[in-house]
Amino acid sequence: MSLLSISPPTPSLLTRLLRRTGGADWFGLLAFIFLASTIILPLVVVGIWAFAEVWRYPAVLPQRFGLGFWGEMLARRDVWAALTTSLELSFTVTALSMLICLPAAYAFGRMEFPFRNTLFLSFLTLRAFPKFGLLIVIATIFLNLGLVGTFAGVVLIQLVDTLMYMVWIPAAAFQSVDRRLEEAAQDAGATPLQVFWHVTLPQSLPTIAAAVILTFVGTFYETEGAWLIGAPTVTTMPILMISFINNQLVIQYGAVLSLMLWVPSFVALMFARRVLGGDAIARGLGG
Amino acid sequence: MHEAASPLSRTPAVSARSRVLPLLLVATPVLLALWLVIWPAAEAVILTFLVPGEGGTEVWSTANYARFFGDSYSVNNFTNTLWTTAVTTTILLVIGLPLAIYLRFAKGQLPATVQSLVMFPMFVPSIIVAYAFIRTLGPNGTVDIFLHAVGLPRMRTPYLTPWGPVIGLVWDGLPLTVLLLLSGLGNVTRPAVDAARDVGAGWLAILVYIILPRMRSSLLVTLSFNVLGIFSSFTLPYLLGPAAPEMMGPFMQRTFGDLQDVGMARTQAVITFAVCLLFGALYVWSIAKGRTKSAAGGKS
Repeated sequence: MSLLSISPPTPSLLTRLLRRTGGADWFGLLAFIFLASTIILPLVVVGIWAFAEVWRYPAVLPQRFGLGFWGEMLARRDVWAALTTSLELSFTVTALSMLICLPAAYAFGRMEFPFRNTLFLSFLTLRAFPKFGLLIVIATIFLNLGLVGTFAGVVLIQLVDTLMYMVWIPAAAFQSVDRRLEEAAQDAGATPLQVFWHVTLPQSLPTIAAAVILTFVGTFYETEGAWLIGAPTVTTMPILMISFINNQLVIQYGAVLSLMLWVPSFVALMFARRVLGGDAIARGLGG
Repeated sequence: MHEAASPLSRTPAVSARSRVLPLLLVATPVLLALWLVIWPAAEAVILTFLVPGEGGTEVWSTANYARFFGDSYSVNNFTNTLWTTAVTTTILLVIGLPLAIYLRFAKGQLPATVQSLVMFPMFVPSIIVAYAFIRTLGPNGTVDIFLHAVGLPRMRTPYLTPWGPVIGLVWDGLPLTVLLLLSGLGNVTRPAVDAARDVGAGWLAILVYIILPRMRSSLLVTLSFNVLGIFSSFTLPYLLGPAAPEMMGPFMQRTFGDLQDVGMARTQAVITFAVCLLFGALYVWSIAKGRTKSAAGGKS
């Protein structure tokens, strides 16, 4: 799946588009205006709110811009606690996922063994159930195991979510490594480990890195599992945002948090998208 | 292992090892999926059909389901979720199909930009979508500001009404819908469309007789993906939807977390499994039927 590159629309681009189409592509122009106003505009509004110190209804633009709420946000202890929890969770889940999935991906991609295809396809069942219902039935099991409300419980539930993509994407990467290079290295006297380290790994690394980024960002934003299993002791960033939204504390808090968290993940996902197709990313993010 | 010089002497040892080693390598993720997906789902289905009988025993019964479907509040939530699914899917198809057809056949900079915009929601987490929605369509949001600026009264906000989740889910679901439809449109060739146009077919005729018949399976995939996605959803319905009727996601969460009625939450979960299974089966059935039909057509 090759997607066309995503670039932010600028006025110069718009005039270029108009000139190119000569006014003939009315549908495209309407689609562009419709999508820009429904998809980009709401996010621009969030961006403006994040830098608005005073914005009273019904002014079209804020009365005063500033970074005041960023300072306030960065001074809040609950924000730092949630950020720490989220990062700890994301690092733990991603590391564990790499540890158990990458060897499996190598086996699926490069080795022959009984039930290989069946086992490979069995990861599809992870996506065959409606996620929230599945979380509920896992939660009923975790309740008996005393895992509800624990860090370990959240790690487990988020780990399951990462399995399919951390197995499937790297397996494809290992499979597409150029065998002739490996054989050449072997002929030159390299040990299997050396071949793996110097030939196989570097070739599959970009795709694996993209899968790892997807896993990390996906885990960082995973909300439902953390909420259901972690509440009330484990508070992650998305859960903190839910409470900001529900309590309507200060409008700018949510905007600052959105922008602070989303921009780095957006850059990371753009990198992943260049390596992988957009389809994989859609699923990796939970659709 | 490179000291074992002769390939012949090495082969049996390697093949014995090479059968067990890969199984060991794949064991952990496979077992984890078994433990946390297959087993809980299977166990949940069985447990919902068991109720406490006399003397501490458990007996088979459909009492849990009778309780769910006998409770008007639960049924309202269930039908509300079905309504949301139907409306969201319809809107997604109405917006997504023209976009996909346009992206399939148009070339140049403008279609490329339109495609980028369509794919954009993929990179925005639900929680930020929900926040952006409230700031834009909520009370005193951007739309109200614009309406006020041109002297119009405020709109009736969809925030906290059943339309809130619909709008959020459409926003969230657009990229995947267009991707799935685009892959279906791969079966529609430009010559086929041009030929129909040459004999004087209007765009509606081309859509109904040329494009849609070739997209049957892709439309069904879109439908079953949407059913799965909407019955799975929690964050958007929880933040944007009304307190009553709820959608199944928030309803299950409240039953499990606030009411602590584990048995009922499990029953609700199995009901969402059943609905998604139904649409999954519909999709598989249609594929199978399509295959038999084309096989029979090939023979005659």
